[in-house]
Amino acid sequence: MKISKKRLYLIFACVLVAYAFLAIAPVFAQDATEAEYRPFPKIGSRNAAWIAAQLHLLFGSFILGVPMFAVIIEFIGWKTKDMRYDRMAQEFIKLCMGAFSTTALLGGVLVFILIWCYPKVMTKLSGIFGPTMIFYVVLFFGETFTLYLYSYGWDKMQGRHKGWHLFLGVLLNVFGTAIMFVSNAWLSYQTSPATQYGVLSEGRRKSWIEEKLAADPSLTPDTAMEGVTSHTMVPLHNETTGEFMGTVWDAVNNFTWMPVNIHRLVGNIAFGGSIVAAYAAFRFLVAKTKEDKAHYDWMGYTGNFIALCGLIPLPFLGYWLGREIYMFNNTMGINMMGSLFSWLFIIQAVMIGVLFIGANYYLWSGMGRIEGAEIYARYRPYMITVIVICVAIWMTPRTLSKISSASELSAMGGANHPHLGLFGLMTAKNTAVNIVILTTFLSFLFYRRSGKTPTASWGKVGNIAISSIFFLAVVSIVVIGIVGFTVPTDLRVNILTPYQVLVALAVMAVVTVVDIFMYRRATTSGTINWGEMTDRSQYVLILIAITFTSLMGLMGYARSGLREAWHIFGVMQDTSADAFTPLLSEAVNIVAIIMVVFFALVGFIFWLGLWGEKKKQDAAATAETAVTAEGDD
Amino acid sequence: MSKNTLIKIASLILMVVSFIAYIAGASAFPIASENLLPWSVWFLISVIINIVLWSNVMKLLTFSLAVIWFYAFVASLVPESSTAVNLTSLDWSDPDAVAEQGALVFNGKGQCSACHTVDTSAPKGRCPDLTDIGINAASRVPGMDGKTYLIESLYEPDKYLVPGYGKIMPEIWKAPIALSKLEIEAVIAYLQSQGGEIDPTPYDEPIDRADSAVAAAALPPLLTGDAEQGKKVFVSAACISCHAVQGIESPAAGATTTDFEVVTAPDLSEIAAFNDLRYLEESVLMPSAQIVSGYGAVTVSANGTTYQGTLVSQDTEQIVVRTKTADGVEEEHTILLSELDEEPIEELTDLQAKGYFTLTLTPTDADAPVTGEIVSETDETVTLKVNGEDKTFSKTDVKSQMTLIDFDDEEIVGEYVSGTMDDDEIVLIVDGSEEIFDPFDLNEATFTRASGKKLLVTSPMPENFPLLLSVSDMANLLSFLSTLTGATAEAVPAETDDASAE
Repeated sequence: MKISKKRLYLIFACVLVAYAFLAIAPVFAQDATEAEYRPFPKIGSRNAAWIAAQLHLLFGSFILGVPMFAVIIEFIGWKTKDMRYDRMAQEFIKLCMGAFSTTALLGGVLVFILIWCYPKVMTKLSGIFGPTMIFYVVLFFGETFTLYLYSYGWDKMQGRHKGWHLFLGVLLNVFGTAIMFVSNAWLSYQTSPATQYGVLSEGRRKSWIEEKLAADPSLTPDTAMEGVTSHTMVPLHNETTGEFMGTVWDAVNNFTWMPVNIHRLVGNIAFGGSIVAAYAAFRFLVAKTKEDKAHYDWMGYTGNFIALCGLIPLPFLGYWLGREIYMFNNTMGINMMGSLFSWLFIIQAVMIGVLFIGANYYLWSGMGRIEGAEIYARYRPYMITVIVICVAIWMTPRTLSKISSASELSAMGGANHPHLGLFGLMTAKNTAVNIVILTTFLSFLFYRRSGKTPTASWGKVGNIAISSIFFLAVVSIVVIGIVGFTVPTDLRVNILTPYQVLVALAVMAVVTVVDIFMYRRATTSGTINWGEMTDRSQYVLILIAITFTSLMGLMGYARSGLREAWHIFGVMQDTSADAFTPLLSEAVNIVAIIMVVFFALVGFIFWLGLWGEKKKQDAAATAETAVTAEGDD
Repeated sequence: MSKNTLIKIASLILMVVSFIAYIAGASAFPIASENLLPWSVWFLISVIINIVLWSNVMKLLTFSLAVIWFYAFVASLVPESSTAVNLTSLDWSDPDAVAEQGALVFNGKGQCSACHTVDTSAPKGRCPDLTDIGINAASRVPGMDGKTYLIESLYEPDKYLVPGYGKIMPEIWKAPIALSKLEIEAVIAYLQSQGGEIDPTPYDEPIDRADSAVAAAALPPLLTGDAEQGKKVFVSAACISCHAVQGIESPAAGATTTDFEVVTAPDLSEIAAFNDLRYLEESVLMPSAQIVSGYGAVTVSANGTTYQGTLVSQDTEQIVVRTKTADGVEEEHTILLSELDEEPIEELTDLQAKGYFTLTLTPTDADAPVTGEIVSETDETVTLKVNGEDKTFSKTDVKSQMTLIDFDDEEIVGEYVSGTMDDDEIVLIVDGSEEIFDPFDLNEATFTRASGKKLLVTSPMPENFPLLLSVSDMANLLSFLSTLTGATAEAVPAETDDASAE
């Protein structure tokens, strides 16, 4: 008997549902009254919450990142009057519709798991953040209806209404970003339930001083304030009773809230771009016609460009977040960078290295389809050498004291390698990062210039100026890096490193402006042959997307693991059976499972989009045939 | 279906299965007790075959899965064990050795080297460089000696800050670093050795550990693992040789190839029903921390005879020790505590932790020695019950004896006055008169501050047991132990009852 595909799927789905039912059956035997924790069947509460949260976060990033990408692309299309951009933006918003409901679904799953498995924590958090939850719901409605209007109104709001359509797109992003900010407040508060004295509510200021006076009777209201500045960290809980003493805004505006917000916002742009590029790579590889290949090659390039724009500032923003974590709790910072999670950040460096090498490789591959780009090929060996050396420096381990045995420490001559350990210091790593970023920017500059000849009379002077700027910038970054070895950490963290970053950012800004003017009326010596890309380069785009997603998964583990055995760090201890910090090797396995599920779901959504598109094309072809037939008659 | 298609499908299935098996940490596929290649190798083989045979979508799927696997694989290669130094005693007769132990704590568990450097040529750390801190400590705060400064800096780091450095040092005696007093003492010795002299004088901790101890006790273990794998570890690591667990067959005597002596140990079938994870973890990592009554190992000597065996029972007057002769015959010996031999004590530190329950010492202001039961002790004093009264004695104001052995192996015993083997001379009072000895002419000098009766019960479980297991084995073993609640055994009769009721 031949079983049809549909029936096979149905049987498979029934088996899955039956298995899921049997797996959760023991839950019904649990005593569900007044429990602090309830175990999740089979995989444990922690893993269940972890998988649901990370999947929700990845889809959340997708539906926040892709609309940002879409609005930018739509705007470019509107301004350049190139309808390719408009069509691409619309294509992605359609994909967003499928991902939007999946995100909401996963959010629901996460909430159910949290309420079921961690009722005490949820009671505490909802008690503090109740008003923000109402705000979240309002924003969610706003985002949903704006997305419907933005998507379904696309074709109607062309021409003179395009400006209003773009406004809807911006509004959609505002709603989405606000939603992310609200939920970030909940999670960042769990990591850092404290804020700075300067932004503290009046009520908490008073209660904090009262606590200080009660703890030390020798203090007076004046002496209690000695040494307190606007940056002084103030816990939001009574240190003896653990009772929350601040306002909702105090809790929202906690130590790590804004760094997490900005880091995620920019990360979403890069993530959205990389997923778009991966989608384009997939379509490129399966494309049958030259036109399709050209279209998806161009889409891949655009997606990668947006991803690169997001990727470049990400290390700086990560550094800022790390600095705030150190400022909130030094032990947490040391655990993160110099102890329990040392190797995690080495793995992170490996992944970021892959991202930068991949992005550069893709740009260099792209230059192969531009006539006249050959002149820049001679620089590639030097550039890849610089990038590989810098990535190697970035990957240098340091302060591995807590994860090395005594014999290993002794063999290394201490917590660091006696010679290479020098590169493990942040000053060396920051120097390497800045140089990698400038090299990547140089790759992009070469790409931009490929096949063009400047006509500006000051072209040569401009080139000398740009070369000088690059040279001086690299020298400055290296010198600042070397000085960083000799100064106290405070000076390095607060002054030297920001200067290094400013130098890199300034170079990119100034060179971009000079280059735009220099090539404004450039003659084109060669055209871009879209579609003439190697399959290898498309695999690189997919590699970048997977690496980005894995990186986000790994950072999710770091963020949660940093709290160690605390639901709310220092305030509410995790006393459940699942209160453990998984080993890195176990964590990456969970991350791998999440990656597989995420890409399977994303693949399904993409497939749905293709399916609908194919049906439409078939219908259009049938209608066209019918019209032709009528005409013949 | 063509042969080629079959190979492609088989390769695809192998890739998915090996990926799942790798992520799930499954054992290598066994055939006739021989483990074949690890899953990671199978996965790589299938990836290569898939990339060669398939095209487009399936090739892409293979590539994506390979990248995901690659990151998981790389992260599983990095070291992640926590082999922190765990000091149980310090030998102050060799201060340099103590300083070396302190260096291990400094670079290891204490995480001090994450911020401090001890090398002026090294890049500046987040906290002050500690080169020559052994000398400089004395001049940091006017009127404060070097050791007091170090003690204050380690216990209350915010009290005095080196100019230019902020309040970033954590209280290392609190979680998560949580150094013990011994470990902090060792670190102080290490810091003093940086250009200065090591001062072994005991000190009182300027903090109250009680609160943090309560908090630390509530902390759960850091590891978890797979219970099924843990069961295999339980058997392969020879735990089953000594401990019984319902449902696991104990190997026949002599069938296991273990280096350990097989002894009777507690049945673990219901261990998790009455103990939490922290207890299980502690029992594996530090077997002697808590010993189940009737299973402790002791070595005692009474009336000149040494007994080594299992402590069967103990009361206020006597103990019963079960010994085993070379030919395997078990004997039980009842020994009165009063009959235990007194042992010389070199250092009056942690007496109760070392198992001493009586003490004989001679205060400097007394002529005759005092003997009594140890009631309590601090770092500086010890309280004895002497003739029914509690009397407190200073640990430092004690007449000490020194035993010297010269090159002719002759023993000289006298009351200690001054000097060590590292000094130019050793002065003792022998038979009422002061005598000077040149350490150059001596083979050995043994310092005795007091003597006491000792009953130290330890676990017969091998102390190096944790070192024999990998971190993941340890995690798996703990997970397995946490499943031993005896629930299975109870469930069977319950079901039978229900059936008969019907």
